Amino acid sequence: MSIKFQTEKYSDKEIYSNLNPLLGEWFYKKFKTFTEPQRYAVLNIHKNKNTLISAPTGTGKTLSAFSAILSELITLSEHEQLEDRIYCIYISPLRALSRDIEKNLNEPLKEIKKQAKKKNKKINIRIGVRTGDTTVSERAKMAKKPPHILITTPESLAILLNAPKFRENLFKAKWVIIDEIHALAENKRGVHLSLSLERLQHHNPDFCRIGLSATISPLENVANFLVGMEKDKPRNCNIVNVQFLKNLDIKVLSPLPDLINTTQEQISKKLYEKLDKLIQKHKTTLVFTNTRAATERVVNHLKEKFSKNYLSNIGAHHSSVSREKRLEIEDKLKQGKLKACVSSTSLELGIDIGYIDLVLLLGSPKSISRALQRIGRSGHKLHDTIKGRLIVLDRDDLIECSVLLKNAKESHIDRIHIPENCLDVLAQQIYGIAIAQQIKEKDVLKIVKGSYCYKELPKSDFNEVLEYLSGEYSELEVRHVYAKIWRDKETKMIGKRGKLARVIYMTNIGTIPDEARIKVKIKDAVLGTIDEHFLERMKPGDVFVLGGEKYEFRYTRGNTLQVKAAEFRPPTVPSWVSEMLPLSFDLANEIQKFRFLLNEKFELKKSKKEIIKFINDYLYCDKNAAEAVYNYFNEQFLFAKIPHSKKLLVEQIKDETGNHLIFHSLYGRRVNDVLSRAFAWIFSKSVHRDVAITINDNGFVLSADTALPFEKALNAILKEDIEKIAKFSIRDSEVLKRRFRHCAARSLMILRNYKGRTKSVGRQQMSSRLLLLSVYGISEDFPILKEARREVLEDLMDINSAKKVIESIKDGKIKIEKIFSETPSPFAFNVYAFGRFDLVRMENRLEFIKRMHQKVLNKIENK
Amino acid sequence: MNNKISSGVKAVGLGLFFEKESVLAIADFQLGYEEHLHKKGFLIPRFNFKKIKQMLKKMFQKTGKLKKIIINGDLKHEFGSVSEQEWKEVIEILRFIQKNCEKIVLVKGNHDNFLKPVAKWENLKIVDEFFLGKILFVHGHKIPKKSLLKKSETIVIAHEHPAIVLSEGIKSEKFKCFLKGKFKEKELIVLPSMNFVAEGTDVLNDRLLSPFLKQAELKEFEAWLFEEKPYYFGKLKQIE
Repeated sequence: MSIKFQTEKYSDKEIYSNLNPLLGEWFYKKFKTFTEPQRYAVLNIHKNKNTLISAPTGTGKTLSAFSAILSELITLSEHEQLEDRIYCIYISPLRALSRDIEKNLNEPLKEIKKQAKKKNKKINIRIGVRTGDTTVSERAKMAKKPPHILITTPESLAILLNAPKFRENLFKAKWVIIDEIHALAENKRGVHLSLSLERLQHHNPDFCRIGLSATISPLENVANFLVGMEKDKPRNCNIVNVQFLKNLDIKVLSPLPDLINTTQEQISKKLYEKLDKLIQKHKTTLVFTNTRAATERVVNHLKEKFSKNYLSNIGAHHSSVSREKRLEIEDKLKQGKLKACVSSTSLELGIDIGYIDLVLLLGSPKSISRALQRIGRSGHKLHDTIKGRLIVLDRDDLIECSVLLKNAKESHIDRIHIPENCLDVLAQQIYGIAIAQQIKEKDVLKIVKGSYCYKELPKSDFNEVLEYLSGEYSELEVRHVYAKIWRDKETKMIGKRGKLARVIYMTNIGTIPDEARIKVKIKDAVLGTIDEHFLERMKPGDVFVLGGEKYEFRYTRGNTLQVKAAEFRPPTVPSWVSEMLPLSFDLANEIQKFRFLLNEKFELKKSKKEIIKFINDYLYCDKNAAEAVYNYFNEQFLFAKIPHSKKLLVEQIKDETGNHLIFHSLYGRRVNDVLSRAFAWIFSKSVHRDVAITINDNGFVLSADTALPFEKALNAILKEDIEKIAKFSIRDSEVLKRRFRHCAARSLMILRNYKGRTKSVGRQQMSSRLLLLSVYGISEDFPILKEARREVLEDLMDINSAKKVIESIKDGKIKIEKIFSETPSPFAFNVYAFGRFDLVRMENRLEFIKRMHQKVLNKIENK
Repeated sequence: MNNKISSGVKAVGLGLFFEKESVLAIADFQLGYEEHLHKKGFLIPRFNFKKIKQMLKKMFQKTGKLKKIIINGDLKHEFGSVSEQEWKEVIEILRFIQKNCEKIVLVKGNHDNFLKPVAKWENLKIVDEFFLGKILFVHGHKIPKKSLLKKSETIVIAHEHPAIVLSEGIKSEKFKCFLKGKFKEKELIVLPSMNFVAEGTDVLNDRLLSPFLKQAELKEFEAWLFEEKPYYFGKLKQIE
């Protein structure tokens, strides 16, 4: 068994001769010939081979998956051999996409039906959509007469796997298609889906798996994620890699030639002028920002500064905008009624958004694959050129985007992280398995280990999850409250327990954290939602922006916020917490490499002309940009030293605000999160003071009101296990509390829907701190607690890459150089000056209350 | 002094200690609060009982054996059906308290209708209110008769579960607290809850529960925040 890249490409003749003539005829009429992904994939799928297709949007990806399937179904239907059962399951992460696909399949089927009628043949293929939106009557209909092609979501699939009668329908499916697999593989929704597929495999060992993906890397891992494991080896899969089909027209633009000797106002003014100019020159522009807050800001500013150009022809599209509003904007986009649409991440995924001729990225998209995914939303036809512009806002951004562009052009894509051994998702799925049937523990383990995400699951973790599910962590008398499954230790079997089990499971399925969102309303009309954290910071009378419109806070009632329109008042723009996209580790390393190469030139005292030429060639950038990059590096070189892939620069500064250590650790914030907390934790233990942390992608700053003994801390970190230190450092952190809450919900320790009641996350009921405390009382190794720690360290942060950095320091591959500075060096400027809002203090509750107490005392005394 | 609440009264743990009289007042244990959470879908393990016992132990170490312990209402959360486990906990806590004092005074709270079975216990009495000299103890869910108020100089209530949120930047933490202020020219002291499953009402932002506090000038109240020991934070208007 193996995973291999498909090299064989088929001709039109070969493909047509294998397709059902009716479908072939329709296809020829419509397209004449086949696209690249179709040439590689169609016959593979025809032969029932597992296939992963990675290609840009608009290259006929969907039909490359469906052609062989439709062909077979049409043939069966022609001969009246089509049974009333599901042949193909199509899974998409987006409900919105389901509707698109249904339409895109029904249209050709209608045309083919017509053709068939002319030849006196009857074709009847049913397509059914099953998502959270499907009504009860539709579901009942489906149960009576199942569709031949079922379109669904990962969550609905999990529900169907436990639907008493309907599940049998799934066990005969011949194909399973997973669309947008790149968007699933890197989060817990994907992990959850991978287990659902293995549950299906258990009952249906022969189905063929087809994955559709945008540009992503490494394809081998994503393919393995798609097909899973059989006897500890990856199942067969053919990878169709046509990621770089289209012409790329990407450029990095700076609103001003000089980004440093200008004020914020000037940059902002020029930025919006540039945006407006670009938008006006094109038919429809899609603008991506990195945060929802920025999305709001951009729409707001464009409307204000160029009120003639933008009225109803611009829209904001992000996950906080209400569904109705989002659908309205999508429709307008499809109909070409928008001049510009501004989005954060919500339009990255594949719903058909019509004709876009320009994509603007405001600020670095932080990873090469994300950049390609976003820019790929333009030019939605096969032969169109993809046109994207990256607009940079400061000099770090300039370098980041330039290196990103180089890698995109050279087809180097950063690797994704696929979460592994998630115990919360595991608990939820085992619960599902146990409800469906009585089953041997070892068979459950076999199902679980079929998933790529659990291929290395330790037996002990599996056992702990079973212990959790069977309530063995609680005392016997109250076990009935906690036990979710029946477990017989002698026969080593598990099964359903209690009458409510199925209802509880079915109504609490899923992995998307139930963050408390507050509905924003004017009377009964829902405008969208905002974060509970954000609400906590507002008072009546405050004005904020949502969906590009301004509203005034009136009052809150439960989980709704009543507002009124506030057109003429200046807003306090929402600041959504911690949604900054992190720089990918691979792209970070590429930037480090660039720094290394450039440093070499400076140290060899090459002429300015020579260096600029090098930058020009290396980054494919224009002269202005090269000059700006040169100046930036030159300043850093003259002022201090240039940090790079082999040199980690640490600057020590003492000023009126205290002692600071600035680490030029350009590894991305996921790694810096680990490193900075580990150092801060060691420092706070050795100097018994509170250490403040400021981080960004390029480095971090530790600050205290006393000198920080750097060498001592470094030695401690190199000697100890970094993972152990990191675990200690997050023990009382906000982030662990928050993530534990999510994990507790996924593992059904907290139920959103219970005994007919739906409720919000209910922070009022129990604070995250006390929730965490309640399980610390059981055991530090309680599986759900372990999972929350793993999620924080591996998924949110990047402990594995942090370990690599520490190893490289130990091996001497990275040398540390410490310097004393009067003021921060140019490279340190961003993290030192602007990072403050991101401050985390390394102190526990007790230290916190003591410090606040001192503050209050001072205030009282000064009176 | 951080723990001096008023003349002759200091905070010990989450209780009020009247040293001269050898009396300790505590309130709002809400044993069985976990059951209440279970019904809402929070299947968290029980830990309130254990934590309360630990806290009491620490408090008794400081006070030594007492003459009286006043439980100012809500020993148990909610009425309605009581599980065997909950009964066990109630009895065990009361026995433990009994060992450390000569007499237990149980002031009725709004959740204490079920306590009849223990009413026959020796050295334990259940009352609607209790006077220690001129100090009136009531649970605080309703305002008592004028005649009672008239006789008092100080009123000690519970019921509110007062807490205060301290925030700085992205950080915010909630702490249980003691409150002291004026209610109709009398001194009013509010006890924090001994319930460890919830911190309590954020008195600066949440809707208040006790009619006493609803009628009082809350901003003028002084607060002692509790984390392992009390910390004096001055008047509430200064904390904002």
